[in-house]
Amino acid sequence: MVELQAIIKQYNLNAPLQVQYFDYLQNLLHGNLGLDSIYKAPESLVIAQFLPVTLELVLVGMTLSIVLGVFTGTIAASRQGTATDKAIKGIYLVTWAMPTFIIAFLLQLIVAYDLGLLPADGLANPTLIAPATVTGLPLIDALLAGNLVYFWSLVQHMVLPALAIAITTFGIAIRIMRSSMIEALDKDYVKLAYMKGFSKRQVVYKTAFRNAIGPIITLSAIFFGTATAGAVIVEDVFQYHGIGFFLVQAIFSLDNVAILGLTVIIGISVIIANLVADILYGVADPRIRLE
Amino acid sequence: MESVDESGSGNPENFEGKYPNRHGILLSLIRSLRGKTEGSSPVATPVATMPASARDSAFSYFYRALVKDKPAFGGFLVIMIFLGWSIFEGVLQMIDFITRRTDYAIMVLGGNPLALDFSHSLVPPSTNSFALLFGTDYYGHSILLSILYAAPRDAAAAVLVMASAIIIGMVVGTSAAYLSGWAEIVFMRLTDAFLAVPALVLALAVSIMVGTGFTSVLIALTVVWWSRYARFFRGEALSLKRRGFVAAARLCGTGSLRIMFRHLVPNSIDPIIAYAALDFGNIILWYSSLAFLGIGVQPPIPEWGEMTYAGLSYIPGSWWWSFFPSLVILAIIISFTLMGDRLQEVISGRIS
Repeated sequence: MVELQAIIKQYNLNAPLQVQYFDYLQNLLHGNLGLDSIYKAPESLVIAQFLPVTLELVLVGMTLSIVLGVFTGTIAASRQGTATDKAIKGIYLVTWAMPTFIIAFLLQLIVAYDLGLLPADGLANPTLIAPATVTGLPLIDALLAGNLVYFWSLVQHMVLPALAIAITTFGIAIRIMRSSMIEALDKDYVKLAYMKGFSKRQVVYKTAFRNAIGPIITLSAIFFGTATAGAVIVEDVFQYHGIGFFLVQAIFSLDNVAILGLTVIIGISVIIANLVADILYGVADPRIRLE
Repeated sequence: MESVDESGSGNPENFEGKYPNRHGILLSLIRSLRGKTEGSSPVATPVATMPASARDSAFSYFYRALVKDKPAFGGFLVIMIFLGWSIFEGVLQMIDFITRRTDYAIMVLGGNPLALDFSHSLVPPSTNSFALLFGTDYYGHSILLSILYAAPRDAAAAVLVMASAIIIGMVVGTSAAYLSGWAEIVFMRLTDAFLAVPALVLALAVSIMVGTGFTSVLIALTVVWWSRYARFFRGEALSLKRRGFVAAARLCGTGSLRIMFRHLVPNSIDPIIAYAALDFGNIILWYSSLAFLGIGVQPPIPEWGEMTYAGLSYIPGSWWWSFFPSLVILAIIISFTLMGDRLQEVISGRIS
């Protein structure tokens, strides 16, 4: 009972709910997310350990997804109405309608278990010794320590989760890119470029492409949100030790402090991503500037 | 656009041709459902006084627009079958639940999808009997019967979450736009706060607070879903509130509440419903993702996402276990997407 009393005192559980809430908010402003009830360490430190791993995964997955989506969308738009266009629409529909966990499991099953090409789960080969934490981002840390064996193991373990995130999100990029490309191809300057005698390839990839890419930059902020949500499921499937994995663990161990802290931190990261996308849009399109 | 009439139901010429503008179709459907008692209301007057032959009934217009597009019509048929079956089976399940003595829902299926039967474990699909059409899983549950038994919950989740999201979004978004000032600041910052956190993370956080089970998933999904509809309703109301008919209503002495819910909402609902048709599939997708993470309907009650997940470790030997449930999820979400896309194109007036 003494321990129980100590815990009640530690978490201030006897205080009225609104007092606890304002205490939480006040602590939040000081960067204090409370004490994790499983790890017995400050929540901010626990999250800081898991966050960079997910950040790295999400950024790689997002980049893959945007690159794939932009080029497939461009192909679909430049061959509008043909069989290629319809096939791409089919791919978009199926990947968009498929739950993330099914895609992740199928990748794991086929590539890792049946073909044995890549490791099935984990962050890196557990027999290797991890290099010292400097930035928190595992890939960068491995490079800084000059540990190329560990780096290669990290890359191998990252391929499947990143691919799973890319496949579940790249449909949206295809869709946006296709419609913005169709719009761009209809403009006068595109007709002018044709009249100047440029080939179709040159017109599509040089003239129209630059004008159609704008919406994708705005989209990348939304992508960050969906990719993070996808990462929760993907990390759970691949046992990839990032915040998604930690969140699912926290749910089953009823670690409320961790769940609250993670929700706040993920929310803040999405807001920052939005801000970055807005600034990037201003850089890409000089007509739009911060006022 | 000076000739736009007060109800927002569009230029009367549009109704005579085959291109009604976007505010016409669902609005007139809503009116026809409401009956003719609204005839004296200023909102309904322009439509009510129009000769019946000059305008399409909303449903027949909608139906003809879908028939012209084969994939969208296919999607429409799949959704109708899904909803029809869900209502039928769902009502029987409700009756069984209320009386606690009857087993109509299971009697209709011709076999019990909940009973364990290890003598029929992992039977491959065969045409010998209806229950074995999609094979059985490890526990001897018929896959087909489980899929059919799980359907009403998916449909109910989609419809209930969507309805609550639209109602909450409507109240918050429309009042934020119409009242402006501090109400707008408070409501829209609240909406932004909900929009900032990715949907799945927020749904997980909420379902922790309300526990696991069907109802808590509905609550979690509604908490996630309303915010984007609040944004839509605000956008629509902002553009509508500057129009003449709102000023006219205010001059007549109409109260704020009445202007908001009798003048602004009916005129802004069409594009939002078109988007909602597209969005229904998403709810089913998230519903199965939450079930996969262990939040939501608990075994032994079957759930499509859970069935797919359970069967994945039996591929390729017993591929049918996860193949058929995932096929059903895919078919329904793709159907909603195809139909919603088409509906959006028709309502925005891009294609006849």
